[in-house]
Formats: sequence, structure tokens, C-alpha cells
Amino acid sequence: METLGIFPDVESAGQAVTGLIQAGFVPSQITSLTSVAYPDGALVQTAPRSFFRWVSLAGAATGALAGFGLAAGTAWLYPVQTGDKPIIALFPSAIVTFEVAMLCAIVGTMVGMFLEMKLPAWKPRLYDPAIAEGCIGISLTFHGPGEIVACGPGREAIEHCIGAIAALPLPEQRARAEEVMRQAGALRTIME
Amino acid sequence: MSELPKTTHGEHAPAARSAQTVNDELLSSMRPPTLRWYALVIFLLALIGWGLFAFGWQVSHGMYVTGKNRPVMWGFYITGFVFWVGLSHSGTMVSSILRLSRANWRRPILRAAEAMTVFCIMVAGLFPLIHLGRNWIFFYMMPYPNQRGLWPNFRSPLLWDMTAITAYIIGSSLFLYLGMLPDLALVRDRSTGWRRDVYGLLAMGWRGSAHEWAVYHKASTLMAALIIPVAVSVHSIVAWDFAVTVVPGWHSTIFPPYFVIGAIFSGVAAVITLMIIIRRTFHLQEYLTAQHFDNMGKLLLVISLLWSYAYFVEVQTTWYAHEPIEWEVFSFMSDRYTWPLAVMLIGNSILPITLLCFRRMRRSIPVLLVLTLLINVAMFIERFLIIVPSLSHKNMPFAWGSYSPSWVEISVNVMALALFALLYTLFAKFFPIVAVTDVRELEARRGQVALGRASLPSLPVED
Repeated sequence: METLGIFPDVESAGQAVTGLIQAGFVPSQITSLTSVAYPDGALVQTAPRSFFRWVSLAGAATGALAGFGLAAGTAWLYPVQTGDKPIIALFPSAIVTFEVAMLCAIVGTMVGMFLEMKLPAWKPRLYDPAIAEGCIGISLTFHGPGEIVACGPGREAIEHCIGAIAALPLPEQRARAEEVMRQAGALRTIME
Repeated sequence: MSELPKTTHGEHAPAARSAQTVNDELLSSMRPPTLRWYALVIFLLALIGWGLFAFGWQVSHGMYVTGKNRPVMWGFYITGFVFWVGLSHSGTMVSSILRLSRANWRRPILRAAEAMTVFCIMVAGLFPLIHLGRNWIFFYMMPYPNQRGLWPNFRSPLLWDMTAITAYIIGSSLFLYLGMLPDLALVRDRSTGWRRDVYGLLAMGWRGSAHEWAVYHKASTLMAALIIPVAVSVHSIVAWDFAVTVVPGWHSTIFPPYFVIGAIFSGVAAVITLMIIIRRTFHLQEYLTAQHFDNMGKLLLVISLLWSYAYFVEVQTTWYAHEPIEWEVFSFMSDRYTWPLAVMLIGNSILPITLLCFRRMRRSIPVLLVLTLLINVAMFIERFLIIVPSLSHKNMPFAWGSYSPSWVEISVNVMALALFALLYTLFAKFFPIVAVTDVRELEARRGQVALGRASLPSLPVED
């Protein structure tokens, strides 16, 4: 379950984030929706690690193999005897290998990026077109009472991993979040 | 002791524009088309129609309708190919370099440059197909199992070209799309009806969450780093089409870097030309400022110096060594094509270096427009003078010849120009031609910072 508060400016949105954390929600429950990029930490913090570069690397390796297979493999399967020149020529094979490797690395980057962003979004998600006009959205994901929200499973004692407010029933969590957002200056809140 | 900037006194401090104002102004290019727009499209379609007729004439009558002959088997088509590949070079490359160097002034320029690359390389890719004798069996170049039992010979530079151009078309299109992703979401939010569905599909459900932005920026940086070596390799491979032969005038180690420099030169000039046209057409004077033209002018000056140096090295080596056949080619070129050679040297070297040294000239829109158009005319001539004189006077004097383009070749080249202009015109109508979110990001960070008794702008001032 998610709620989205729409704020007229970045300052009020920042206040809402601070208020939500002070109210007991944890940062991993909160994200910002903006039409321009803000520096990390201006509103929320994002995870420093990402995996999409591994997809790029896998793409490059696959492409290099495919490119070499295409150039050298076809030369080997369909040999063209030209004087004393080698059947599998190094220079042309290297060119084709390089180009296909780079192409697949680029495609891999795009695929990895979309995988990491979880796009395309198949289900409709909370959003407000006012965000495109400069408003800031602060989205809060609710978790059921007792659900782990603050850290990964098995990494810390379970009581530390449940946000203070996540122990409350969902309607109460929602009411508190709406109150915090309203006080910070939300134009409106949208519930999922 | 350094002086405080003028903006300290608050007289000329650029005020941050509201998001809505920036959206309205930068998306004005997507308003419903006017009669003049339709007239332009019809005119371009007419030129393309004429070019298609000329190409049809060539297909039905054979290659003799072109000016090509033995020994000059490459003429205007390959000139066009090299020219358009060169133009395509700079858009993505400039965009990538400026992205990696985080130059803030890049923001209003990026989209125009990236789109130029995609459409130029599309047009360039047509020329080898047009140049083929039997165009209808072009698919023989593609490697797939077939009953002929034939596979393409990857030792042929033609296949290197095909591989490189395919990689570059896909790579630069993805790069363009990546840059447009947040803008497509913005356009989606401002659209209604079927347009909203189309832009929604293209935006893939982008919401602009902090996580999406973080991944997006990392991916943009990686893509910029990946596309630069591809861009350099494409034009190096085009240069190898010439340099790996033993034709006098072509067989030179300097060709790949010389081609790459020439490509960046013509591409940067074309980006400036397009910036001027876009600025005027869509009233973007507030966003494409004198500072942008000044910076691009400096870039053009540096590349002009590099090009002049490379050309001097090439000619000086030929002249000093005085190898008979190399000298023969050069003498033939300077004798038969004196005026084109003069235009090339004036347009690529003398005028840019002389004019662009002056700040006032770099900031003068009319001067830049004339200069950048002249540079591209000169670069087309340069491509022509690389190809034709060398083929005309190869190693066997009994087979020397000459070349003049026929109306068919000229028409097809005009068609290529019209096709590029049409694709660009359509793109500017249906997609944001300026990177809206990039520009707005800058606006969002613009403000005044108190320092002692002064109030300074948070971003460097564009004076």
C-alpha cells in the first residue's frame, strides 16, 4: 500500500520527509517523485550500489564472442583462399569483434538500466501529473504490522528491522502519514 | 585580487524560471503545426520525390547514368557517404564528452546534437546501398544461412562499414532515447487522448522516483563512455576503406585520425547551424544564449586548428618526399580542381581560424551561420577531393581519367539532404527538441548564495 503527497516546492517536500522519519517511518519506506533530478540526499537517500553495470559487462562479453564467431567462424566455415593471406584474418576479426561487443554492451546497459528501474511498469502506480509541472511527490509505502521494513532479513535483530510505526495497524499509520504531510504543506495526498 | 561578478549587485542576476514556464517555452516546438510547417514538409517531400525518381532512373537504366567510370568508380555517392558519416560523428560525441565533463552549458544543446547524429547516420547508411550496382540484392551483405551457400567476406572493408554503421545507428538511437526518457514522461503528462497513450508507452511508466533518477544518471554516464569509442571507430573504419588500399593519396597512416578530426569538425559546425535554426524557429533565445555559441565557437576553432595541422602534415609529407605518383595525384587535384581546393582551404582553415579567434565573431549569430554552412560545404569538397583525384590518377597512367557528377548523383545527394531535413523537422514536431528536464535541473539549482556582504549566484554566470 502506498500514499503520495504532492508538495508545491522542494522545501516543503523536504520537511515532509523529515517529519515522516521523526514520526517513526524509516527512510526505505519513503521516496521522492520529481520531474527533475535533485542531488542525492536533498530529499531522500538512494542505495549507492547498482547491478546494471554487470549486465553491460555480460553484454560486452557476449557481443565479443558473437562478433568473433561471426567474423572468424564464417571465415573458417566458408574459407576464401587469397594468395598467402590467412583464412582467419586478425585485423577484420578484431574490428567486427569490437563493434559487436560495444553494441551488445550498449544494449546491455539499456536492458540492465530498465531491469534495475523495474520498468516498464506493467501495473498502474500512484502518480500525479502535477509532478511534471514542478510539484514534488513524496511517496510512502506502508507495511503491515510486524513486517520487516528497515533492513534485510537475517542481518540484524528483528526488533531493529521493524520501523517503530510499522507495529501500528495500517489505518493508523496512514492517518499519521497524512497528518505529517499536511503539516509540511502538502497540496493533496493520494491513496492507493 | 579577484573581482566580484556583476551579479553581486543583483542587477543582472538571472532569475530562476518556474517549471511551468520552462515546460511551456521548451515544448512550444510541439504545438500544432502551422501552414508554413506543412509547406516546408511538402517542399522536402518534393525534393525526396525527385531524388527517388533519379534513383529509379539509375536502377532501370544502369550505372552508366552516373558520372562514374573506369577508373573513377567512387564518385558523389561515396563522397556523400563519408560526408554524412562525418556529420553524424559529432552529435553523440559532443554530447557524450560534455556529459562526462559535466559542463552545465551543454544542457540546451544535447538533444539537437544527438538527434542530428541519428538522422545523419541513417542517411549515410543509404549511400552504400544506392552506390551498389544491383541495389535489389543488397541483402547479400547480411550474414544468414542461404541456399547460395555464400557468406559475406568479413575481410572486405564494406562489411566492416556495415557492422560499424549498424552498431552506431543502434547505439546512437538508444543514446538519444535514453536522454529523452524523462522528457517523454513529461510530454505524456501534458498530453491527452491517443498522444498520451503513445508517449506513455514510450516513457515506459517513468515516475521520476529517486531510485529511477539515480540509476538513470549512472546509466547515462556509462552510455556516454561507451558511445565515444564506437563513434571514433566508425569514422576510423570509414578511413580504413581508403587507407588499407594501395591507391596513391589514400594509403596513409594519418587517415583515421584525420577523418575523425574532419568528422568532428563538420559535425560541430552542423550542430551550431542547427542551434541557430532551432533558436530562431522556436524562439529559444533565453535558453540558447550567446555563451553557448561562444563555447561552441571555441570548440570549432580548436578543431579547425587540428584539421589544418592534419592537412598540412599530409600535404607536407607528399610534397617533401615528392614520390612521383603521390605528387601526380596532388598536382592533378590542384590543377583540375583549383577552385574547389581554394574553397576548401578558405572554408575549413583560413576563415574559421581568423574569425573564431574573436569573441565578438563567436557571439555573432549571422557570422556563425554563414561560417558553419561554409565549413560544411568545404568539408563536402574535402571528401570529394580525397576520393576523386586519387582514383583518377592511380598507378597505371594508361588508365587515368576524370570525373564529373551526373544529374542523377546530384539529385540523389539533394534527396539525402532533404531526407535529413525532413526527419529532423518531424522529430522536432513530435518530440522535445531541447532536453527539458536537463534545462530545468539547472533552473532548479539556480539561486543566490550569501557570502559575506555579497550575494553570489549559485551557478557560474553566463555573461
